Amino acid sequence: MTGDAGAVVVAERCSKWYGHVLGVSDVTWSLAGGIVGLLGPNGAGKSTLIKMMGGLLRPSRGALTVFGGDPFSDAGVRRRIGYAPEHEATWDELTALELVTAMAQLSGLAPAQAGRAAQAAIDQVGMTGAMHRRVRGFSKGMRQRTKLATAIVHDPDFLLLDEPLTGVDPAARADIIERIKQLGAAGKTIVVSSHVLYEIEALTQDILVIYRGQVLAEGNVFEIRRLIDRHPHRIRVECDRPHAIAQVLAAEAHVARLSFERGGVVIETRDPDRCYDQVAAAALVHDVTISALSSPDNNLGAVFEYLTGDGARR
Amino acid sequence: MSTPGGTPTRSPVATLARVTLRRLVRGRGLWVGALIALTPVLYGYVRRMSAGASEPRDLMLSTTPLLVLIPALFVASSIGEELESKTSTYLWSRPIERWQILAGKLCALVPLVIGLVVAGWLVGNLVGAGAAPSAISCVALAAGCVVIALIAAGIALLAPRQGMALTISYLLVDTFIGAWPFSLAELSVTHQVRVLAGLTDDPPAIVTPLVGMLIIAAIWGAVGFRRISRLEV
Repeated sequence: MTGDAGAVVVAERCSKWYGHVLGVSDVTWSLAGGIVGLLGPNGAGKSTLIKMMGGLLRPSRGALTVFGGDPFSDAGVRRRIGYAPEHEATWDELTALELVTAMAQLSGLAPAQAGRAAQAAIDQVGMTGAMHRRVRGFSKGMRQRTKLATAIVHDPDFLLLDEPLTGVDPAARADIIERIKQLGAAGKTIVVSSHVLYEIEALTQDILVIYRGQVLAEGNVFEIRRLIDRHPHRIRVECDRPHAIAQVLAAEAHVARLSFERGGVVIETRDPDRCYDQVAAAALVHDVTISALSSPDNNLGAVFEYLTGDGARR
Repeated sequence: MSTPGGTPTRSPVATLARVTLRRLVRGRGLWVGALIALTPVLYGYVRRMSAGASEPRDLMLSTTPLLVLIPALFVASSIGEELESKTSTYLWSRPIERWQILAGKLCALVPLVIGLVVAGWLVGNLVGAGAAPSAISCVALAAGCVVIALIAAGIALLAPRQGMALTISYLLVDTFIGAWPFSLAELSVTHQVRVLAGLTDDPPAIVTPLVGMLIIAAIWGAVGFRRISRLEV
């Protein structure tokens, strides 16, 4: 996310419509390298932007180049790109090894070389034990790993991973995150999309926030986090004596609002970290038993609305 | 083909053809197609049991539905499902020319369609007429399969979700037009197949029906290959 010289991706006033429906609007952005998180809620335009970078879609207006060429029309550019789509569908009748080998061959590898590359890619994503099984019977996590193998099998310079952590269990998520980080450390340029901030935070500090087809913010994840933290953050405390917790926090300046729910209290705060500490301290001092702590804002929807001003208009 | 280092690579068309066939063999479609291909055999058997040996012209009536259904089942549904299920994204993101995707599908499916239709016709004649059909009738059916496969591909690329239904509808209209005793029948592939096979009241001809089929194939082939080169997934 620097100047255009030597950039992997350059988008200039790039827009995409599906008929009358807007995919992305007037995006100007460049990517020099490293791992970049593409963050936005569902329907924000993340997949559209990724598909344009992968050569699956053409911009309706503006221009988008990858390695200086048009990924839609230039097969040479696509040779340097590895793409893992968001959807689960794949050639389910094939085994994982057959699928990844076919993708390697379609990427220009010779049959013997493709077989070896497929085995290596499958090994790299931790699917060796299941490589002779048909994809039809795979769990969501196994499918995500297999998709990752199809994306890396031809050793591309640029990886596009569309929601690679969706639907996977926590252990698999941690493993996939680690493998993506290893690919980044190996010098690949990677764009990873997600609608969950903490997934992106675990992968990279560089993010692009996209909402309703437009780039909302770009830069370091901590800057975005600061913006998010400025937005009143809700914390739900489920406990046996919510009034005792509320009494302690009511006088605090960072608390914007307190409301009681069945079996708990919801605190709106501008300083979540401090609030969590004070809730824990109050529970200790007043001998309150906390059964659960949760944040209804974790899906980022409220934050995107806050950043665009939609929340204020409501 | 070879890599820059000189290692021979497999053409994307050959890879796609292999994958298409493998998926087909492991799915249900092939067996449904084989059952449909038995239609002329059953028809010939029933006719023979009830009214004695059939004429090839009668048997062609039971073979025409194969020409309609089998290409629709294999070609239109294979392309339509690929686009509808979005597995096409795997192909579009690869460094291959878009025409090679269609060519790979056709290379796998057209011989299969020809095999099933001609086998149905051949066995149907042996059972129903007690003799093998003429070689030209087999050639006519094979040529018809190629043309109809291109029609099915073109329609499926234009309307993936309804590709199979629209292909069948198109070919039913084609069959209907082909039965008209007017020059409009020249636009019908199934009519041209019957003329080339020498199974109509018209005088036998080879060049005219072949040219007619070639024109229809060229039009639908152009539609299909042009569409796939511009298609976004």
